[in-house]
Amino acid sequence: MANQDAIQIEKLTKIFSPNIKAVNELDLTVNEGEIMALLGPNGAGKSTTIRILGTLSGFDSGKVLVDGIDVDLEPERVRQTIGVVAQKTGVDYFLTGRENMMLQGHLYRMKKADIKARIEELATHFELDKSLDKLVSAYSGGMTRKLDIATALIHRPKILFLDEPTLGLDIRSRKMLWKLIEQLNQEFGLTILLTTHYLEEADNLSDRVAIINEGKIQIIGTPDELKNSIHGDSVVISFDESGDEEKAFAARLKQANIATETVWDGNNVHLYVDSGAEGVPVIMEEAGKQQVQVKTLSLARPTLDDVFLKYTGTSMLDSGEEEVEEWWHKWAGKGGGGNWKKWAGDAAEEDWEGNEWVGADGKPKGEWEDSEEWSGNEWVDAKGNPKTPQKAEKSAPDEAGGEWQGNEWVNKEGEQTGDWGDSPDWQGNEWVDAEGKPKSDWKASGKPPGPAAARPRQEDSAKESGEWQGNEWVNKDGEQTGDWGDSPDWQGNEWVDSEGRPRDDWSQTKGKKQSRNN
Amino acid sequence: MLADTWHLFNKYMIITKRMPLWSLFTLIQPLIWLIIFGQLFGHFVETDNYMDFIMPGILIMTVLFGSSWSGVSLLREISAGTVDKMLVSPVSRVAIVLSRVLHSAIQVIAQALIILAVAWLMGSTITMNPFYIFLSMLIVLFLGVGFAALSNGFAITLQREEPLVMIGNLMTLPLMFFSSALVPKQFMPDWIEFISIINPITYAVEAVRAVLVGPPDFTIFAKGLVFMLLFAGISLTWAVTAFNSLRE
Repeated sequence: MANQDAIQIEKLTKIFSPNIKAVNELDLTVNEGEIMALLGPNGAGKSTTIRILGTLSGFDSGKVLVDGIDVDLEPERVRQTIGVVAQKTGVDYFLTGRENMMLQGHLYRMKKADIKARIEELATHFELDKSLDKLVSAYSGGMTRKLDIATALIHRPKILFLDEPTLGLDIRSRKMLWKLIEQLNQEFGLTILLTTHYLEEADNLSDRVAIINEGKIQIIGTPDELKNSIHGDSVVISFDESGDEEKAFAARLKQANIATETVWDGNNVHLYVDSGAEGVPVIMEEAGKQQVQVKTLSLARPTLDDVFLKYTGTSMLDSGEEEVEEWWHKWAGKGGGGNWKKWAGDAAEEDWEGNEWVGADGKPKGEWEDSEEWSGNEWVDAKGNPKTPQKAEKSAPDEAGGEWQGNEWVNKEGEQTGDWGDSPDWQGNEWVDAEGKPKSDWKASGKPPGPAAARPRQEDSAKESGEWQGNEWVNKDGEQTGDWGDSPDWQGNEWVDSEGRPRDDWSQTKGKKQSRNN
Repeated sequence: MLADTWHLFNKYMIITKRMPLWSLFTLIQPLIWLIIFGQLFGHFVETDNYMDFIMPGILIMTVLFGSSWSGVSLLREISAGTVDKMLVSPVSRVAIVLSRVLHSAIQVIAQALIILAVAWLMGSTITMNPFYIFLSMLIVLFLGVGFAALSNGFAITLQREEPLVMIGNLMTLPLMFFSSALVPKQFMPDWIEFISIINPITYAVEAVRAVLVGPPDFTIFAKGLVFMLLFAGISLTWAVTAFNSLRE
């Protein structure tokens, strides 16, 4: 095997918007004939890197060589030597497997006879021969993936990029794909670069793993090398809370050289000890001495998650749903739906404080504050001029392509959008959180449920600035707050929507009566 | 590039063949208009045979309804990842747009021929001469290419479906009424007549009318054909430019 690097990336930077660097001076070298896994949480820059390597996306600075060819200067030549399987299935559902492969072959300008021969070869290898003439819409998820990979290999590429190859597949299909990818590597000598956020996948499948976070490679090595970089065993202790006592307890363990390292992750502390069998009794003894309540304790060999935790400070397992770059992200970037970005991206840094939506810096967010407001019985804009409710509704993330359904904001596909989906919900007579547990604390403290990131922080501050009156949230000036104004309203004995029409379905869910005058 | 276009065009034809209902649905509306206008408004307008008068208008309307949605399926292909799959291959970028637009145009030609057949059945006396019908189909082809290209261009620049559908509506109905498709020019207020002068639909309708209804007038037809070629060329160039800028 030649010693040439299959992929060489130097100081690659891709800027999405002035503040967001999707990829930040990333360096990576992939040797010919190896399987390299880019392991990282969502938004770490994995997909962006693959898109740049696959000539789908440009970049701002750095140098990218694929098979020795500069991606920026000669994308055409790069395309001939690579196969790309994107996260979204690119095969056409209205065509048969064979037609999909034929088309792909034509697009690579292969000769017809050659394509036919290649289809037979790939179909046998991928065990697709029986379903080759069925419509892809009749394929299972695993089969569609297989076909997707097969079409990407039609032109005999030397390097294969797989972006989250097993995302959304069941365990059986996943294992089948792993076997297949391994075979491709060994039998065809393909160099494979894959992205994943499944620890298992990186561990089982790849020769080397590169842990990527915040657009940078944090560490790179074989799975064993990485795991060995954490000495000894990993003891994970869960507490009911991570208060000062617990923190002090962990710190003392490290001081006393019982644990070589301690990493906090929510209410769990990961302690790395030279030997689990010897360490655990000592740790429990210490806990008893210091009267710290241990909820659960587990002992394990270090996993890639421990490695990940060590180098990034967060656990892979905690990183939420896969972020797919949807069209509305681009749309938001173009300014077509300016508010969307606030909802999608910045929400995490913002908080609901009293009546105001504030940014991470604690300042009220301009768009909400000086745009429009509910004052007395009407909407007023920043200058205090009355506005019609319809106008005011526009300040909701309407432009982003979704609508209010009942009390939920749903996006175009009819899903609750992420930021709202995990927010609390009105069910029957009470607010429930995302897990469906009643949130009695909100009822008691009388706080408005906002988006997940907007959960009220301190009871006191909220009380100072506003409270529940009957069923309405009013701020300290007695006004209804803006965000609630354009949602449905309780009038007399019934719920009315923003146009003032009674909503029977809501009135059924509301058992309470209240005495507000309208 | 031509081979690429041909292969992609083929793919869209296969897909269309597998969903014949969709093509049928786009036919229903022009058919309804044909019947409504023919039967209802025929009595208000002082022409010998209003059916013959609106026939070219309905024909062009079919083209508009059929081709102005081409961009919607492009958005579907973008979000499904199909476009990305094409873009990682060395396929000509122009071919991707061109194949879609041509497919759309061929589809509307088929629909236009069906509409013609229905009109004959309903007693229209427009020509059945294959040569003149061929000429009228040239107009249909280029108008279809033009509007499908516009729709694709808007799809790429807007990147989302709702405004695209809105623009699709905006392109079709008002443009129909601001042309001499349904009402002769002498019935129009001045301002509508002015709009109709810069409206490509007017030229398309008049060119089709010139060859299909009554004695053929090749001057009007040639004028319409040149205008259609210009329209299709400009729209297509814009759509291709927009598509090329898709790479971030």
